[in-house]
Amino acid sequence: MKPRHFLAIIIIPLGLIMAAIPQNTTHPYKLTPAELLEHVNSGMQYFTPDETADMIINKDPSLLLIDVRGEDEYEKFHLPGAINIPLSALLDEQWKDYLNQDIRFNLFYSNSTVNANQAWMLTRQLGYENNYVLQGGLNYWVETIVNPTPPESTSPNEEIAKYDFRKGAGMALGGGAAVRLSGSGQTAPALPKIAPRPKKKRTEGGC
Amino acid sequence: MGPLISNGIISQNTNFFIAFLIGIAFGFILESSGFSSSRKLAGVFYGYDTVVLKVFFTAALTGMLGLLFLSLFNWIDLDLVYINPTYLYSTIVGGIIMGAGFIMGGYCPGTSFCAASIGKIDGMFFIGGMFLGIFIFAEGYPLWEGFYKAKFMGIPTLSQALGLKDGIVVLGMIIVAMGMFWVGEWAEAKFPREEY
Repeated sequence: MKPRHFLAIIIIPLGLIMAAIPQNTTHPYKLTPAELLEHVNSGMQYFTPDETADMIINKDPSLLLIDVRGEDEYEKFHLPGAINIPLSALLDEQWKDYLNQDIRFNLFYSNSTVNANQAWMLTRQLGYENNYVLQGGLNYWVETIVNPTPPESTSPNEEIAKYDFRKGAGMALGGGAAVRLSGSGQTAPALPKIAPRPKKKRTEGGC
Repeated sequence: MGPLISNGIISQNTNFFIAFLIGIAFGFILESSGFSSSRKLAGVFYGYDTVVLKVFFTAALTGMLGLLFLSLFNWIDLDLVYINPTYLYSTIVGGIIMGAGFIMGGYCPGTSFCAASIGKIDGMFFIGGMFLGIFIFAEGYPLWEGFYKAKFMGIPTLSQALGLKDGIVVLGMIIVAMGMFWVGEWAEAKFPREEY
């Protein structure tokens, strides 16, 4: 048998296989289920309301709040400086540079943590870093920052200090005793400028 | 997983080391299959020896199939594999110059080093000519820069240009290559040379 025939016997069937199967266009998810479970269990995706309030008051430029609720809910009330990326639009091309970046902390929030966690899980699986979830969502935010419960007078000092901080933060953020749920005069902030993350380079080569 | 370098699995230095080993193996195989003989190489233009055509086309087919199968198994991200960008006019002119040099000198750049390393004087002259060409190109670059960069086409692939999927193009290439091998062996029988 000539080498040409031997080659043909091997290579033509391989070519037929390649021609017959659908092209692989899948982009594999980055994490295995076990790894994801570990992240979820560690709770490392959460920012507490206190941390968040502190960052908002200090106008920390590294924080970007992302409201993942629908547009109408966002119009009614949103945290200061938050931008709106509804969960349904999360994978739109226009948001990719906001979610896949290494400059800011993106903090997802929704009314509870369900939708925010879904957003976090999706971005995590896509391999995006620096995305986090507001612990307890807006409901817990109202409970802790907007309407903090006064501690018992016998509480330890830390509890009282925490309460004082929360009360102050609530006032600074326009809450205080009067819970403002209708966003009077609240306008959506301009989208912050985002420098697209540099793409992974193709390895240069040549003959 | 792959490409190994883009994904940081191996460093650039390790890459150079691996390239060094592959280079030695490549040179060894070129030499041992007779690629250091300019008469054998030039044979492809006269039809009496088409081993160059067969070897390089087999390499291309192996590479094509290998990459597509690795991509199928998610072992390599084809988006990160380097493809030479196409500058149409300079590619055509470069091809003509390279082909003319190949017919006249009997070597391509890699095989000329192969020949020089076993002490062939024509191979050394060929390398000298190559460096002369590089020198002239580099020194005269402003003169032909416009032409060199003309008709930039990005990185078109055959499958994109034809609107077919990669697998079909690969099968087509395999069939074309097999046809060419057959024609090559027919030519070898038709224009035989006793000694070269």
